[in-house]
Amino acid sequence: PSGNGEMLPTTVLQLLNMVTQEELVDDEEYEDIVEDVREECSKFGHVVDMKIPRPGKGPDTGIGKIFVRFDTIEQAGAALRALAGRKFAERTVLTSYVPEETYFAEDF
Amino acid sequence: NEERSRRKRRSRWGGEESKVNIPGLPTAITSNMSKEQLDTYLLHMRLEEIGRKLRTGDYVPPEKERSSSPEPYYDSQGKRVNTREYRYRKKLEDERHRLIEEAVKRNPEYKPPADYKRPTKVQD
Repeated sequence: PSGNGEMLPTTVLQLLNMVTQEELVDDEEYEDIVEDVREECSKFGHVVDMKIPRPGKGPDTGIGKIFVRFDTIEQAGAALRALAGRKFAERTVLTSYVPEETYFAEDF
Repeated sequence: NEERSRRKRRSRWGGEESKVNIPGLPTAITSNMSKEQLDTYLLHMRLEEIGRKLRTGDYVPPEKERSSSPEPYYDSQGKRVNTREYRYRKKLEDERHRLIEEAVKRNPEYKPPADYKRPTKVQD
């Protein structure tokens, strides 16, 4: 695709500006974040799986980003629209899509 | 683990009424951007957000979000130094400092916000 215009919707929702590096280090806090995200996202469809990269665990890319894979593009789209601009721990949530192949390759 | 489950269920999500809408800064990003463009956008969005919090004094989270207070310590006049306001403000200022350094690295022409004072010494 060209550098302009709209991106193609996918089944993978990307949630941005929600977590800091420090919060991801703490195991308990990490588990809480996973649960909070799963619970809220499940309101928009079936969450197939999710990825929340953590510092020091695997490649240090995509840290601070949260990826949630839904069953369908429609579910991901509903979550994208509904969660954008909401607050998560006093930070403003930004949402976007990532291509499925990026998600599977963890090329964040 | 009972302590954990009791501590647990307070979601970090703000309600529908907490939604923000800043003209010109979309929160649902559906335009084609490279990863670098998206990261740069994210950086500036967060800087904007921190700047707003610092300007309006909105940096102490609501009760349920607060972490437990550290031991107080006092200056030579006996005034408490690490008040809640001080700690949260400092946290945001430190984050802003890191983000501004990152923004300058990405774009040497970047001009930090007018109310930003570069710290002479940063401590973690």
